[in-house]
This record gives sequence, structure tokens and C-alpha cells, in this order.
Amino acid sequence: MRYPRKRAVTAVATLVAGALALSACAQGGGGGPKTTNAAPTRTQDAQAASKVKVGTAEDSKGPAAAEPGATKGGTVNMIDRDDFTHLDPARIWLNYYMTASKLFTRQLTEYKLAQDGSLTLVGDLATDAGTTEDGGKTWKFTLKDNIKWQDGSPITTADIKHSFERIYADFTPEGPPYAEEWLLPEGKKYKGPYDGEHLDTVEAVDDKTIVFHLNSPHPDFNFTVAMTGYGAVPKKHDTKEKYDKMPFSSGPYKIVSHVTDKSMDLERNEHWDPATDAIRNAYPDKWHMEFGVQALQSTDRFIADNGADKQTLTFHNPVATERIQQVVGDPELMKRTVQGLTPFTTFYNINNSRVKDVKVRQALISAFPMQQVRQLQGGELGIGKFASTIISPTVLGHEPFDLYGQQTKPQGDPEKAKKLLAEAGQPNPTIVYAYNQTPTQEKVTVAIKTGLEKAGFKVVTKPLNPATYYDAIGKLDNPYDVYWSGWATDWPTGSTAITLTYDGRKIAAQQPNYSHFNDPDVNAAIDKASAIVDPAEAGKAWAALDKMIMEKAPIIPEFYQSYFGLYGSGLGGVKFHPVTGEQYPNDVYVKQ
Amino acid sequence: MTMPAPALPEASAAPGGRPPDAGSVGRSPGRLTWMRFRRDRTGVLSAFVVLFFFVVALAAPLISMAYGNDPYTQYGQEREGLLNEFGYPLLPNGGISGEFWFGLEPGLGRDVFMLLVYGIRTSLLIAAAATLLTTLIGVVVGLVAGYVGGRTDYLIGRGIDILLSFPSTLFFIAFMPVVESLFVSPREETPVWLRTVSLITVLTLFGWATIARLLRGQVLSLREREFVEAARITGASPARIIFKELLPNLWTPIIIQSTLLLPAFVTAEAGLSFLGVGIIEPTPDWGRLIQRGAEVYRDDITFLLFPGVSLVIFVLAFNLLGDSVRDALDPKTRR
Repeated sequence: MRYPRKRAVTAVATLVAGALALSACAQGGGGGPKTTNAAPTRTQDAQAASKVKVGTAEDSKGPAAAEPGATKGGTVNMIDRDDFTHLDPARIWLNYYMTASKLFTRQLTEYKLAQDGSLTLVGDLATDAGTTEDGGKTWKFTLKDNIKWQDGSPITTADIKHSFERIYADFTPEGPPYAEEWLLPEGKKYKGPYDGEHLDTVEAVDDKTIVFHLNSPHPDFNFTVAMTGYGAVPKKHDTKEKYDKMPFSSGPYKIVSHVTDKSMDLERNEHWDPATDAIRNAYPDKWHMEFGVQALQSTDRFIADNGADKQTLTFHNPVATERIQQVVGDPELMKRTVQGLTPFTTFYNINNSRVKDVKVRQALISAFPMQQVRQLQGGELGIGKFASTIISPTVLGHEPFDLYGQQTKPQGDPEKAKKLLAEAGQPNPTIVYAYNQTPTQEKVTVAIKTGLEKAGFKVVTKPLNPATYYDAIGKLDNPYDVYWSGWATDWPTGSTAITLTYDGRKIAAQQPNYSHFNDPDVNAAIDKASAIVDPAEAGKAWAALDKMIMEKAPIIPEFYQSYFGLYGSGLGGVKFHPVTGEQYPNDVYVKQ
Repeated sequence: MTMPAPALPEASAAPGGRPPDAGSVGRSPGRLTWMRFRRDRTGVLSAFVVLFFFVVALAAPLISMAYGNDPYTQYGQEREGLLNEFGYPLLPNGGISGEFWFGLEPGLGRDVFMLLVYGIRTSLLIAAAATLLTTLIGVVVGLVAGYVGGRTDYLIGRGIDILLSFPSTLFFIAFMPVVESLFVSPREETPVWLRTVSLITVLTLFGWATIARLLRGQVLSLREREFVEAARITGASPARIIFKELLPNLWTPIIIQSTLLLPAFVTAEAGLSFLGVGIIEPTPDWGRLIQRGAEVYRDDITFLLFPGVSLVIFVLAFNLLGDSVRDALDPKTRR
């Protein structure tokens, strides 16, 4: 899934006098523990989504496992930085929108999050997680009984067929590309169901049975349809473009009001039957969401824990970097935190169409001062673990390796880089590093420049406007050599970690292959790995591919990102969701 | 941020601009002013403080040499045992030690004392240059508009209207990328001098209008006075009338305006730097130090303290100095 732009720190410039008045009452400055011994109650590895397994029909039966000590009723508040730009399932490919959609959009399948943090893929609208008999080319799903829309009418296979057809329409360009590519018959053009044309590849056999005929085998298609992007949309109430503002609920809540960039209110959907839902608990009666709250503000509100903020959580806002030390040092606050390893990995793309010498690229990786970069962004808790692979540990089959000493020497190894540059015959190559211009990134850039210059690189830094950062680096002929981006798997298998980002045949403007990496051997290996049916075998193939790509050094792996968030003391059942990498809404309850 | 609108100064000098003679000894007006200024203890003290800041700014490289550290080396990153895992200094009070007098910057671990000294240098250089240019242009345009009047006054007046109604910060945000794409190749770094010159240019461009408008009004009321008419009748040239007859009567508003402008420019420059269009890392900057301090004050108050207190002292001293000079020039307005 796409990575949100690095969050711009927009702390308000404080007047000197005001700042000084404040400082008088703040606690004494400086000094602090060298390392923290506050061991996280759940380790991040235990939460890794690589423990995911596919559930049975029995696992898919509702109601959801009750949260110990949970009570029904009350209102849960949610504060976050941004509004949900899209609510139409077919236009959702961002984790933050997915988290909100879990309250009112259901898919064929969905992940069930157990108390121990492990995940099971179960049927959501379907009775099980789907069946295939020909290695993933044909997939069959059967709908549950008693599943209804918010007006009480039943959810039928006609609705599901319609939901898959409308992803081809012109007004839904933002969604994930997978099913759109796989369901299209060879050589056919399709523009959506609105002018009476339908797809034969999505076959509604009867009211309860739907069969998908894919154009190539995809053994993990049941994971694909767990994405919100393939959520159900009613044929009768499809308002096309307008659906984005007011989606029709199939889940436990419905939207009662939505003021753009300000607030959104949800109320119970009385036609949702808990007995049909193995995932959602839906304890609170209402949800009230407010937008425009920056991470620093929300962190301060959670720390203060006053009034209605007690019953408040945030989906995405992490603990602000400036407050991490304070939160970690306070055991009372630590009780109200959620943390875990997200599916996101971040990395610095090396522009392979400019930096053609593999030795220079390897030297860049060796010299990169990752430790300094991480310290400036909040350390392991604040940003994540050092990465040295493309595939994150949250993915099935991840194999750790460290080709360039990024784990053993995270502060950079200028000597090794110098040696590589000498072998390449360019002791002082010029590297243009383009960065997203925020106050934090300016500092990070200083550290990167210092680190690379130690190895002999001549570094030119180019600040880019945060609003158009991805547009600028997405141009195929961009004049920069190194630039940052992030990527996450859409489901916990290796295919989505690699196919869109390292398949050289998919290089195009504004596409996620920002490093312009194109290697025929890798392209062939991607095709081979995609066709492997057995999940364990496929995992091994993707891991081997990971190593094969990293040997050619197209990117500088940065972090396996972690999430560290706070919530109010009046809430229970707030958990970290390893697939979205955010706080998880479906088990939340208000403490009575 | 927008600059605060300067307050209207008090009414200008007495007709003729000549302070009444004190005592019977013949003293020049300049000498009298100097004597009055020297008697003002606050004024003298402020003058020393302001002078001290300018000396520090000018002598920054010498201070760095004597002190042994520089503002660019990331001491906390180079050496173990200075910063903790969150990037905060390990020693209490922001890492103050014999080696780092004002402590270490959280994160990059640079020397705060050196950052401050060099930051003052950057900010004062830009603010002082912009103030000088602004005052110069504002005075000349204002005098000409007021004295010549008629069509010239009308045109200049409308020009000033446009400038005053223009959102200067927005303009600068839009202007800087254009300048960069014009003068800097996409594979080269924007030189610091280009940023500095652009900053000074834009601050001046939007700064002179207020001062010009103010002076035009003053000149309008002065030019009908008898002493100007007398000069005109005796055949003095317009230039002589403007610079010898009118200007000496306008020193009070000019000095007040420029002493208000300088600190305003320091903060405006800091604001632009925060928005990413002013001076950016790694060039040290006073305003940015304070902004960073405001972000980390909960964990490292010392880091906010030094730049903050020094800015308060500087702005206060500069305003007091302006007051004293005004009082010395024009004893009638003395409280």
C-alpha cells in the first residue's frame, strides 16, 4: 500500500516570551537515561503478521470472540491529523482509510486478530476464506446467511459482482491494482458496469455463490480480497462519484454526518447481525471522530487525559518524537500505549538510471549513517528497526540477511565505501540527494550529508516541497540520485513487496518503482515466484529474490517501521493491527 | 509571519528642527544630543549590549578559534557517551560541560554556544542589511513623494498601496523556488549567498513602503512651514531643501522606525527559515534555534533558554536604545 508522506512537523512558532513563560514551569531540562529498561509488554516480533494463518469455516462463524471485561455502550472519540479523503472502498489504498472502513465496510475475507496478536484470515461476508481447486486460478466464495445492508436488504452475490466491476470505472483510479489486472480477460478493455457491460470472469452462480476466474494463478487471492479496496458496494445504492462521501454500510456502524476536514460521526447500524461476524465486536454505541489534530497535540492530550479525552484514541497519530522520552519514562503512560512492527519498510531509492555503477550503489549503502538518521527520528520505538532487506519481517517467509553490514555497523562504514569507490574508479562521485523539506528532514539531511562525505562522496542536497514530493521524484527523468520513499505489503506474502517496486517492466512515471531498477534475471524470477502455489515454497522464493535484488543494490534499506501510539485511560481493548500498522478499532470498548 | 505594523511615532520635531540652546556656551546640536544621550544610563547600557551583540556576530570565527569548537561538527554523533538513545544530552542541563559551555543540541549533537554565536551572525547580518536598505529606500521615496507631490506622489502612493496589501510571506514562498530554478541547476545546491541575498531583497521590497508612507505624511505637513518657504525664496535647490531642511526634522520617526524594524526582521527571517524558504540547515540561524527549542523544551529546557534569553535581551536593548536616541535628539518628547 502507498506510504503517506513523511508527516510534516508543523509545530507552531512560539513567541519567545511565551516560550520562556512556559519553560519556567516545565520540568528541569536535559539529562536522561542512556538506555531505557522499560521493556515493552509485548515484543514487536510477537506481533509480526508473518504468524498469519488461513482459518476454516468454523473460524469464520460469528459472533466475534469477546474482549475480557468489555462492556457495551458509550461513545468512543477518535482524533487524528487528516480527514478520510476517500470512503468509497474502490478508492481506498491507504492504511488510515482502511482502519476507518473496518467500522462500516465488509469484504469477502478479513483478518481476525486474536488476544495474543496472531492473525487468522477468515471469511467475513463469505462463510470461509475461499476455496480453489486449480492452484489459484479459480476461486469460489459462498456468502453467509443474514448479512444485510444498512437498509435491511440482503447482501447478495449481485452486489459483490458489482463491487468488483466498478473498480474498472474511471472515477476509481486510487484503489489497489491487483484484481483489476487479474480479472481482466486477455486483450479486453473494460470501463465498468455502468453502460450495461459485465465481466464474465466474476460469476455470480446463484444468490450465495460467487466464482472468480483469474487470468493467471494467484494462490493468495483470498488475501487480496481482504483489502478494503475490494469491499462490498450495493448495486442499488451505488451513487458513483458521490459514494465516496456517503458509503452505504454493511458493517456495525453507519455514517450519520461527515464534515470535511472537521469531524465524522458514526451510529449503530441496527441491521448488522453480530452472529454473522467473526471479527467485529462493536462495543460502543457511537463513534465521534475529529480531524486536524497534529501528533504533538494528540500526544499532549493523551498525556493530560482530561474529560472526554479519556475515551479517545487515534488511528494513526504516533507519539510525537519530542515526547517519546517522557512517555517511555512514565510507567503509567506506558500502560496506555500500543506498539508493534508495521508492514511498512522505508528506504532510500537510488536512481538506477543515473547511478549505473553497482559498486557506487553498494558504496552508498555501506556509507549511509543509519544510526544517526534513526536517532533524529525517535529511535527504535519512534521509527523502527534497522532494515537490511526489502521484505519486512512481517512477511511470510522473510529471511534476515545483511549484505552490507547495515545491522552490524549502522553508523556507516566509510572505509568499506571508500574501497568500493576505488574499485569503481570514481573516488569522489557527486550524489544529488533530494529530500522532503520538513524541519526533521532538514536535520536528517545534515546527518546523511556528513556521513556520505566521510566516504568521499560529494553530496548536493535538494529540498523538495512536501506537497509535491512524490510528484517530483515520480518523474522518470528526475535529476536526482537518491530519494526516500516507503512501501508496505498489501497482504503478508512476498509478492506485493516486490512485484510493483522491482519489476523492471513496470517502470513508468508516478509508479512505485522509484529506483528505476530493471534487471532481466530479476524480472524472470518474479514471474516464477508468482506462480508458486504452496505458501511456504513461495515464501522461500520471494526471500531468495529479495537477496538477489539486494546484491544489485537498487535501494538503501532504512527501517522496518514500528508504530508507537497512546490512547485515553477510559478505553479498553485498544490493540495494534499488524496489517494496517495502526490502532485497531473493532475491539475497543468504553470502561464503565 | 507578517511583520507587525509599526506604531505611529510621536509628533515630529519642533519647527526649525533646532533644539533650544542649553546654557550660554555655543554648542552644536550634535554635541548637545551626545551630551543628553550620555546622561541617559539606560541608553548607554543598551548601547553597550547592542554593540556587544554586533561584536560577537562579527567576531564569530575568532570566538570559534579561541573556544575550540565549530558550529558544524556533530559532536554528539561523532563521540559515544554524549547523547542518549533518543538524542538528548546525557549530562544534566542540556549537556553543559567545560567543553560545551551551553550544552549540546538534541539530535545532531552540535555545540549550542557555537550555533548561537553563528546564528546571531546570520540573523543580524540579514536583519541589519535589510533594515539599512529599507530605511534608505523608504526615506528617499517618502521625502520625494511628499515634497514633489502631484502626479509623482500619486503614482508612488498607489505603488505603496499595492505593496502594503501584498501578502509578503506568501510571495516569498512562491518566489524562492522561481529564483532557484532560474539561477541554480537542479543538480547543484542553492548557494547560501543566493538565499541571503533573496531574503534581504524581499524583506527590503516589502519593508520600505511603511516607512515611506509615514515620512510622506510628515513631509507634507513640514513643506508648508515658513522655514521651507524661506529656503525656497532664497533660491535653494529642491535637493538642498529635502536633505538639509526637511531631513534633519525627520530623524525621530526614522530612528524609531528602524529600531522597530530590526528586531521585526530578525523574527520575520526566523519565520521564513521555519517555512523552509529562508536560511536552511546546516547554516546556523538564531530563529530556527528557538523554534527547535520550543519543540524539545519538555525534555531539554536548556536548549531553549540560551537562544531565547539572548534574543529577549537583544530586542529589549535595541528598543531601549532607540528610545534613548530619540529622547536625545528631541528632548521635548522626554517623559
